Amino acid sequence: MAIDEAVMLSMKDGNVGPTLRLYRWFPSAVSIGTFQGMMDEVDTQFCHSQNIDVIRRITGGGAVYHDYAGEITYSIIIPREHRLGPDDIINSYRILCNGLISALGHLGIKSEFKPINDVIVGGKKVSGNAQTRRHSCILQHGTILLDLDVNMMFQALKVPKEKISDKMIADARQRVTSIREVLGRNVSMNELRNALRNGFSEALGIELVRGHLTKNERDTAGRLVAEKYSTREWNFKR
Amino acid sequence: MKVADYKVQGGKMLRVKMSLEGRMIKSITILGDFFLHPESTIEAIEDKIVGCSIDVQILSSRIQSVLDEHKAVLIGATSIDIARAIEKASMSN
Repeated sequence: MAIDEAVMLSMKDGNVGPTLRLYRWFPSAVSIGTFQGMMDEVDTQFCHSQNIDVIRRITGGGAVYHDYAGEITYSIIIPREHRLGPDDIINSYRILCNGLISALGHLGIKSEFKPINDVIVGGKKVSGNAQTRRHSCILQHGTILLDLDVNMMFQALKVPKEKISDKMIADARQRVTSIREVLGRNVSMNELRNALRNGFSEALGIELVRGHLTKNERDTAGRLVAEKYSTREWNFKR
Repeated sequence: MKVADYKVQGGKMLRVKMSLEGRMIKSITILGDFFLHPESTIEAIEDKIVGCSIDVQILSSRIQSVLDEHKAVLIGATSIDIARAIEKASMSN
């Protein structure tokens, strides 16, 4: 996330063009929305015992368990005035989520956008997304589930233990799905990554050119990690 | 500290944590999985309603005035939802 913000700052200065990132969380992590309270949402003791990072995002939305083995996270960063970022925020979610819908189509999966910020397959959520508009840019990031470890998710996220029941776990499975569950086969990370690249390119009408962070961006990201994203002041702010 | 969760119908979750002096808000934090653009508006909302009494209409009006002043966009909840969540918290043990 420090990298995302560093790219936004670089874009604000006119040093970089629209950027798409695809990445995984290593170690696995829980991120909370910017308006959530860490201690409300996350079993930090459990996460610490399992070497699961905890972090607060700069975007709203809910708490998300990012499983290294179970998802890819994308972030798309565009200048504020870009054609893909209309003023109507829900419409901009719809436009950018078309990249995910197209990617899932490449895998043979029919999906649709569900306002405010979800992509669903057969009525079940396979992707959640969140957006912020700052530094003269729009950042939208989200996850796409390759696999789902409901048990780990319920332990990392604070759900009153007395409320976790077979029914609740079954209910979660009715509301959320993953690519491997939908297709009934072991889809690889590479296959998903390629589908995402092609999906975003086609749906958004963009040519993707492989790039790398500038030294300035790397330095800025390092500074943001040290001064913001790794601090208790930021992560436990609310 | 008074705390309440409030599910917005068709929207997101709100959680209010506040302390009261009589019926007046002494301190407040508004949490949840909603979206607010710009995000910094949340502190302006919280500051604006400190000192306010628990009245859904008055609270809603003050919250909306902050949203309007900051040209902010609240998604997944409305100013009335936040006001109702605050009222619910005021009635909690």
